[in-house]
Amino acid sequence: MQGNISSIERSKAGQQAQTVRVKPKWHMTALHVVYYAILIALLVFYMLPFWGTVMTSFKTNSEVMTSTPITPPTAWTLEGYASAMEELGLPLLTSLMVTLFGAAGSVFLGSICAYALSKWKFRLNNVFFIALVAATYLPFQAILIPLLQTINALDLYDNIWGLVLVHTVFGMPMCTVMMRGYYADVPDALVRQAMIDGNGMWQIYRKIVVPNTKIATITVFVFQCTSIWNEMLFALVLGGYDSKPATIALNELAGTMAAEFNVQMAGSLILALPVLVLYIFMGKYLISGQMSGAVTAS
Amino acid sequence: MASIKIKDMSVSYNKGKSYVLDKLNLDIKDGEFCVFLGPSGCGKSTAMHCIAGLLHPTNGEIWFGDEIMTSADGKKKDKTFVPPQERNIAMVFQEYALYPNMTVRENMSFALKTKKAPKEEIDKRVAYMAQMLSIEQLLDRRPAELSGGQRQRVALGRALVRDPQVFLLDEPLGNLDAKLRDQVRYELKKIQEQLGITTIYVTHDQTEAMTMADHIVLMKEGHIMQQGTPNDLYDHPANEFVAGFLGTPQINIFPCEVKGDVLDGGAFQLKVPESLKACLAAYKGKKVDLGIRPSDFELAENGGEGIHVHVDSIEPLGDAYLIYVRVGEKVVVFKYTGETAPEEKELVLRPNMAKLHLFDPTTEDRINK
Repeated sequence: MQGNISSIERSKAGQQAQTVRVKPKWHMTALHVVYYAILIALLVFYMLPFWGTVMTSFKTNSEVMTSTPITPPTAWTLEGYASAMEELGLPLLTSLMVTLFGAAGSVFLGSICAYALSKWKFRLNNVFFIALVAATYLPFQAILIPLLQTINALDLYDNIWGLVLVHTVFGMPMCTVMMRGYYADVPDALVRQAMIDGNGMWQIYRKIVVPNTKIATITVFVFQCTSIWNEMLFALVLGGYDSKPATIALNELAGTMAAEFNVQMAGSLILALPVLVLYIFMGKYLISGQMSGAVTAS
Repeated sequence: MASIKIKDMSVSYNKGKSYVLDKLNLDIKDGEFCVFLGPSGCGKSTAMHCIAGLLHPTNGEIWFGDEIMTSADGKKKDKTFVPPQERNIAMVFQEYALYPNMTVRENMSFALKTKKAPKEEIDKRVAYMAQMLSIEQLLDRRPAELSGGQRQRVALGRALVRDPQVFLLDEPLGNLDAKLRDQVRYELKKIQEQLGITTIYVTHDQTEAMTMADHIVLMKEGHIMQQGTPNDLYDHPANEFVAGFLGTPQINIFPCEVKGDVLDGGAFQLKVPESLKACLAAYKGKKVDLGIRPSDFELAENGGEGIHVHVDSIEPLGDAYLIYVRVGEKVVVFKYTGETAPEEKELVLRPNMAKLHLFDPTTEDRINK
């Protein structure tokens, strides 16, 4: 402990010594101008389509036809959003359900697997882990037909719970691999101590491992939410008509309407919004979660 | 409370090709403070983890009182094995292992809550132990907000609050600074005496072992070198390793030859005292190692008989001086307790003839019993 503190203080002092302000030389200033020019160009390049999407979504259909996408609308209107919601309302609800339950399910299963793999020694431990890693690389197209038949046999086609089941099962390997890394950072001494304090395997999981890795769980959950929310393949094949998720509905919006770009753009933004909000509010946790995996807990 | 008995315990990580612990036999009395002492890698922590049930020995038996905890006979599955959570032991790890998600109070009451003890009982015990370790004002803090010494106390408190039958400490003072270590050492010993819990303490620090133990088990490479009271080990080391491991500064070893009634160390000759003649009879004309502790020398006034030495350097300790001297080519240290350090460069040292240690140079075993 003592050694740690003093070494941290020393490194702080070192940093202060290095950050003495020096007047930049002329060629440094010139370089900075170049850097910023490149950055701004890239920013415009990436943001322009998004800007166009936002602007178009607030235009009337007739204005879309007569103006360039990036000019702001002359009359702002929510017409596009209203029509998009008519089509997307139910699919959005479906997506929300599938995302929440699918992510919760895969995080729960992944967490238990990760706990067993990282904290308990048993025969074939590594074999299981390697199998799970391999499963994360599985191309879903390869198993699509048998999967469809299985879901049909279970009578879960065109059913929200069919999609939840599939996402839980196929999200689990990725969750396990991610959480195993976080759980490995929970010191073994804590597990041993909890054992000596009279706890069995499950109690240690509930009382020690889970409470100490909350941020990791949130991180993996958010990651899982975004990937399920954005997913199209399973949604397309297994979603059917009544329980199609929003990604499919958005695609149909583009295909069936006669190029109502304002509606399509509004729909895209509606679909992107939850993910954006999640990242804005959870960004702090996501970053610290990624960090906590990077350095060993002291 | 319980006594601990270990019978022929062996631990191997490679199916018997080599042993980390080799046929350990041990008897620890009820209420005893037993220290496992030895250099790193000697198997002391392994032995403790076996007692805790965190490790499965390859062979042997472990008994707490008359209950058998572990019994193994080299097969994959133990004949009997009581899991750690059912052994009613408390353990303090070197890294403290405080639960970061709980306050100090929750940490301390965790084990009792697991045992479903009544709430008033838990509160009473936590309050008592907190007062004993003077950590009452820390009870609502989290481990991250505590200093090293405070964490140490909480870890001790958490273990003691349970009233375990065996108390295991794995180098618990290793992370503390010197001053705090002395203080916690004193408190720990005091509390252990008050509660009378059978305690096993693992350390590589011989000062801790000497000051706290009722019973020292000195280990090396998976074998017990010697066990007994601290004074036994210090005054009658069974071999050169034990003699060298205990005591600071280290014991001085002089290779000598037995020539009649004289021990010939090359640069000095010592007359063999009557008490040692019998045991040296078998070594006539052979070599022996003579061990003399730094505190077992005195200065011979006005020359006289003894070992003639040349002073190399003097280290003042405050209450004494460590004087490094040259005997022939060999550097030897002795502890001088006089008021002022001697000024002469040439001195004559007279060893305390009652406290000589003689070892066989080949087996390194003690000759004078």
